[in-house]
Amino acid sequence: MPAPNGMAVFATMLPTTLLVALAAVGGLLGWLRPGLPPSFHRWLGALALVGAAAAALVVLRGVALTNGVGLAAYAGGVVADRFSTFAVLLLCGTGLLAILTSGAAEERLGPRLPAYHALILTATAGGAILAVQVEMGMLVVGLGIVVISLVGIVAMEKTAEAPGVAAFRSLVSAGVALALMLYGLAIVYGATGSTDLAAVRGQFLHSAPLEGLGLALTLLGLAYLVGAPPLHHWMLQVASASSGAVAGAVVSIAVAAGGIALVRVMVSGFSATMHPWVVVAGVLGAAACLYPALLSVAAGSVRRLIGLGACLQGGLVLSALVGSGRASDLKPAGGVIALLFGLVVFVLAIQASFQAVARLEEDGIGGDLAGVRGLARRSPMAAVLLSLGLAGLAGLPPLAGFLVRILVASSAVAGGYAWVAVAGVAASAIYAVAVLRWIGAAYVEDDELPVVPHRTPRLASVVGLACALFGVVAMLLAGPLLYAADGAASVLR
Amino acid sequence: MNFLAQTTSTTTTTTGVTFPTLVLTAMVWIAVVFALAALLMPNQTQDQLRRIKSIGSTGAGAALFFAIWAVETQVPNAAGGTGGIPGGDLVEQHSWLSSFPIASSYHLDADGMALSVIVVVSVVFFCAALAAWRNQRHVKLLTVCLLTLETASLGILVSYDWVLFLLFWTLAIVPVYVLDRAFGHGHGTRTATRYAATSLVSAGLLLLAAVLIAFQAGAQSFDMGVTPVSLPGDGETVAFWLITAASLLAMAVVPLHGALLDLEEDSTGVLSAIFAAVLPSLGAYTLVHVAVGFFPTTSGSFSLFFAVLAVVTVVWGGLAAMRTDDLRRLIGHVGTVFMGLVLLGVAGHTSIAITGIMFLLLARGLVIGVLMLLASLIQERTRRVRISQLGGLAWQAPFLSAFWLLATLAAAGVPLLAGFAGDFFIFTGSFPAHRWASTVVLAGTLLASGALVWTAQRVFLGASRDTFERARDLGPLELTYIGILVGLIVLIGVVPGHFAELFQNGAGYILFPGVA
Repeated sequence: MPAPNGMAVFATMLPTTLLVALAAVGGLLGWLRPGLPPSFHRWLGALALVGAAAAALVVLRGVALTNGVGLAAYAGGVVADRFSTFAVLLLCGTGLLAILTSGAAEERLGPRLPAYHALILTATAGGAILAVQVEMGMLVVGLGIVVISLVGIVAMEKTAEAPGVAAFRSLVSAGVALALMLYGLAIVYGATGSTDLAAVRGQFLHSAPLEGLGLALTLLGLAYLVGAPPLHHWMLQVASASSGAVAGAVVSIAVAAGGIALVRVMVSGFSATMHPWVVVAGVLGAAACLYPALLSVAAGSVRRLIGLGACLQGGLVLSALVGSGRASDLKPAGGVIALLFGLVVFVLAIQASFQAVARLEEDGIGGDLAGVRGLARRSPMAAVLLSLGLAGLAGLPPLAGFLVRILVASSAVAGGYAWVAVAGVAASAIYAVAVLRWIGAAYVEDDELPVVPHRTPRLASVVGLACALFGVVAMLLAGPLLYAADGAASVLR
Repeated sequence: MNFLAQTTSTTTTTTGVTFPTLVLTAMVWIAVVFALAALLMPNQTQDQLRRIKSIGSTGAGAALFFAIWAVETQVPNAAGGTGGIPGGDLVEQHSWLSSFPIASSYHLDADGMALSVIVVVSVVFFCAALAAWRNQRHVKLLTVCLLTLETASLGILVSYDWVLFLLFWTLAIVPVYVLDRAFGHGHGTRTATRYAATSLVSAGLLLLAAVLIAFQAGAQSFDMGVTPVSLPGDGETVAFWLITAASLLAMAVVPLHGALLDLEEDSTGVLSAIFAAVLPSLGAYTLVHVAVGFFPTTSGSFSLFFAVLAVVTVVWGGLAAMRTDDLRRLIGHVGTVFMGLVLLGVAGHTSIAITGIMFLLLARGLVIGVLMLLASLIQERTRRVRISQLGGLAWQAPFLSAFWLLATLAAAGVPLLAGFAGDFFIFTGSFPAHRWASTVVLAGTLLASGALVWTAQRVFLGASRDTFERARDLGPLELTYIGILVGLIVLIGVVPGHFAELFQNGAGYILFPGVA
């Protein structure tokens, strides 16, 4: 790894710095100039995210000059490499979608809209730190920023009681998750005497139970972000209580940041050769797939169905992790490639689904099965968004979620964990049955209710539809996307 | 450079530019292109609905055109031994997912087995699209779902890559589910959900088999073009049974027949015809082409299992056909009996038996399609589906009665009709290995044939009833699509040799791929 220097510090932290700086500017302007139109803050946020993405691409150029090894700073605590570039681009894209669709929640957010945008930027910045960190201190800082920002975003909707309760519960869950992770890291530090993840890997004794416990606790803490049991309730709560746009933003950023943190810490840091955490990830992944899938059969509202679907995607992320090592023939099992490709697909499917919820809210249509009946006639756009979003979450073809499941199952089998693949496939099938019930109701059961006028902001509609259609496009463009994911994963091997 | 030149050979060098063949791609995707066009059409007025129906018929017709093209480019090559086996003129292969540790490609091809089912699928869908002209409910939904289902069905048959195969297999579930929800008689949600769950289980089993094969075979590829597959340890047996279980679920053989039979009974005429004629054939194709084709030795070692299952399926199906009072369920049971014959052919494990399966699937699809469409026409005219409530229809509807009788005879395997060749080859090919099973299966098929003949007597013969005096015979549109199916039944029965070499080559490739 090249020696750290001032240029490396600048390069590795450039996207984060840009995001934090423009979040501060946006927040201050919102406070000092409350009369500024919402679109100003929206485009300022978008500019920050596009700028951060551009900065990540510039850093990628610098990485290329180091033969792909990466730029290190802060005594090796942060690293900018192809993986971090991929991760930052994904996070910025996720944040951009959240900002562009915020118009749907404008009424409920009211004067807090600038703060909402600023928090999306800080959450993205926290995610960017998770993408570049390879050291325990930076990991805690990054995770803390993400968690606090997401809880803050949920709490921004003060017009109803439910979002406040959801924010509080998210905060409690986040506290537990952070505590678990800190305990885990403390145990690992105590056993190895180092906070540097790469150094920790070199000093690990594979069979030591205490170190295994440390890894397992760290994994549990990180798995909170992707909505894996036992700390999954916050995601369901947010999905049920927050408005569609806010829930979409929070859940998609959480899944993206969580997936990236899991790869950076567990794969890049501790390495998939550490057997204990991989087994725990397998168990957790299987549970995180099956539990929400089984619950989805009895889901009484579309919000809960989507929330459970998001938890299922988290389970698939964990399942992909178990295939992040080497196959029996010592070739890469492909778990990280599947995971990174999956994150792109999951984020967009989650966004599309919650945009459908936002559309239902705007159109005054209930989110239960009776409300969804005949949706295709009453609000065709909502029906298209809902069906594509749900089909994406369920992994039904021709959407790319289907391909993700094949890749995840393949990598789990290659990693020697066929039972995780079986659980993932079974869970996807169960969830698909639940989803078909709702899609069927939207298209074939018509209660002759009146057609509703469209009130959703045009930008939010267009972005929502683009997210939904991306599921099909990603299937066609799977080759280039997997190539990019492979490039990002190659530095972790 | 015209399209014909591009599609009849893999490479054309007259201009120095290499053109890929496009027949299979065109055949598979043309229907869904028309489905997208229908999706974007307004559907408020009668004129607009007619336009959507036109798009549906044209899309299915275009797929049929390319299907005939694909078959007819292979028939002349069959005599030379190159038609009916993979790697011929129809092959299309393009890199798709090369960055993942297991590579996947857009690989389409068709052997004799696939071509036999392709004919059925494309013809039945075209006739169903014509029959759907009388439908006035959910017109756009019906058109879009039918065309999507056709693309999925044809895609299953020509996919030579596991990812593509699974994609089409799973894609087929959604339109079937939605159609049954939309057009089901009262139990739509329950039957549709049951069928979707069954199909998703079969898709999951296939996915696990695909992953197992891709890894254990050592090729690090999802390509299905390399057969037979050799897996270490018990991997081969496990993969074989995973595929077999998935196929048996889709074929709806006893005791796994409930979901599909309920679906067929619950749906309207056009849909019943497709569900009964097409869906089990896709399962049979998967069993023979994939399970047996990938693991010919392993499948041979379990031939007793298939023989026993064939006996159970045929006897159960035959008895149930005799006992049922529901016209559509009767046809469903007859379809189950046909699937029992397929199992007997697999148990026979000879080229003759596998050739017989191809003929049988070709005949079965056409016969079951005709019977289901006729059953829906009878229901439409009499408002009854109970056999005991019908009678004397031959007086009011002589053409309808004649076509039913002809389809019944074809189902019974009467010479000069399509069903004969399949039955003959299967029994001939299976008898040496499973004499008792073949004999019992033959008796079971006689039961099913007897049930059909008895039904014909109860429904069409006897004194004319006043309640049905206004029941009319087949109109021009109905004569057209029923005529197409019946014409093919007769044509294939009279000149089975047109396909014989194609199917023989395909059967040889399935059982002895190295030799072929």
